[in-house]
Amino acid sequence: MRSAGSAIVPSNEQKQTGKAVIQLDKVSFGYDGRETLTELTADIEPGSFHFLTGPSGAGKTTLMKLLYLELVPSRGRFTLFENDPSRLPPPKIAQLRRRIGIVFQDFRLLEHLDVLQNIALPLRASGQDVTGHAEDIMDLVRWVGLEHRAHALPPQLSAGEKQRAAIARAVINAPDLILADEPTGNIDPEMGARILRLLIELNRLGKTVVLATHDLGLIRSTKGSVEARILRLADGHLAQGASIL
Amino acid sequence: MTDPTDSDPATEPLEEATPRKVPDPPRPANAVTAKRAPPILPTTGWTAWLTMLLAGVMCLLAVLTLSASMAANRLAAEWRSDLAGVATVRISGTRDGMTDRIRSVLEVLRTTPGISRVRVLTDEEQTALISPWLGEGDILADLPVPRLIDIVLDGAGPDAGALQDRLDLTVQGALYDDHAAWRGPLASAAGALERLALGATFVILLTAAGVVAFAARATLSANRRVIETLRLVGAEDRFIARSFVRRLAQRAAIGGLIGALFGCAILKLLPGIDEGLILPKVEAGQRLGVSLEPGLVGWAILAIGIPLIIALIVWLAARFTVQLTLSRMP
Repeated sequence: MRSAGSAIVPSNEQKQTGKAVIQLDKVSFGYDGRETLTELTADIEPGSFHFLTGPSGAGKTTLMKLLYLELVPSRGRFTLFENDPSRLPPPKIAQLRRRIGIVFQDFRLLEHLDVLQNIALPLRASGQDVTGHAEDIMDLVRWVGLEHRAHALPPQLSAGEKQRAAIARAVINAPDLILADEPTGNIDPEMGARILRLLIELNRLGKTVVLATHDLGLIRSTKGSVEARILRLADGHLAQGASIL
Repeated sequence: MTDPTDSDPATEPLEEATPRKVPDPPRPANAVTAKRAPPILPTTGWTAWLTMLLAGVMCLLAVLTLSASMAANRLAAEWRSDLAGVATVRISGTRDGMTDRIRSVLEVLRTTPGISRVRVLTDEEQTALISPWLGEGDILADLPVPRLIDIVLDGAGPDAGALQDRLDLTVQGALYDDHAAWRGPLASAAGALERLALGATFVILLTAAGVVAFAARATLSANRRVIETLRLVGAEDRFIARSFVRRLAQRAAIGGLIGALFGCAILKLLPGIDEGLILPKVEAGQRLGVSLEPGLVGWAILAIGIPLIIALIVWLAARFTVQLTLSRMP
């Protein structure tokens, strides 16, 4: 597989300082009087690869939403890149999100934009000149193997192709952290393995990766390929510490 | 170290991430920027057409009401200027000795300051004035019709009271009329008509703002998922708002321009636009009505000014609504 180009080479600022990318200190979340996450505590180190696993309904997606700042903890202390998001104004939240590449189970590609334009979306959203990144975008298209589908619209793509486009979009801004929420949930096992390989390659390039999945087979398949840690969620509680795969 | 999967790991090794030959892309590397970047937001949808249609209708109505207001303004101005500069002396009585009475009145008028010119209406002119109501024939001979003297005033004109006193002393039955009795109410009515039309235009513009606010909310609602995605890839709300507002304003401007041009076409095609439309012509060369033809500046205001105003209102209303709605979105 071709290596991703300069577009995804990380700043490694966090890796150099050694400070945790994500810190959860007794973080809880609930709504309508019901607590779905209870006193979660964990540190995600820079350059690490974490699986977030647990049965359906355990709160994986809720935790991922907390991590990519769509939800705000109801209790506890959460820091992302040493920032407390609850104290940041919306523009700073947007800037913080630019350091995160998010891969969703349902891809979230904009259906009226083709693959290239979807990949370029974070650049446009952050006010960057897309023209200056044309080579990076094409490198990423080749890296995810979509060079023949570059001008296809999402409805014309298979689920696997959509997810690969979503991964390219997630890394175009050279983020420090990749959050992937069930990225293989809607695709066949073979394509799932391919998506996983892309994420592992990103981790080898220095990205911190958190991958939420309930697919234990997918986790097992990475043994020996990546030094991954596993965070287990059950009934809204996080198992003490992260076990090493 | 424990294996949380509680089973043996998969034996299939992960493929090493080594470079492989990739086919050339179907287009050059700058293909992503070769064509103009499409809008971030979907370009289709009923709200888009609704915005354009409503802006067009609002502009059409605004053109009609504003042209009516402009016409009423001209009417009031014409009545004020036309009637303010002239006066009439009416001499009642039988035809016997009428010539002497006319001569005496003319003598009084010529020695009165504030009068620049006087002219006795000819028999033909008086007959033409009366014939629409009394029919053809030698009306002046058959009826004791008062004789009329046209007066062109100089500046503010004479002291009406003093002049009437002099006329009363000189000639019986001579009445000075400076048209004040009906000039005021007519100008006032025209002014009220102008204000009414302006008020209607204002209400239309206000309605446009309200409709746009609804359309903006509907557009935001229809694109909620797009907004969420844009936020998650790092877009600030002001970037999202700018994309929405620009699109709405562009559509409103296009729709408004079409509506305004349509309104102008309706005005232009009105029968007798160059003639007096509010009151009929009463005499050759004399017009009490007013034309709806707005003139060059008027056409520019109607065809360009109104769409621009509508676009500005849409921009302001959409900007306010979008920013408010985005700030309330989680």
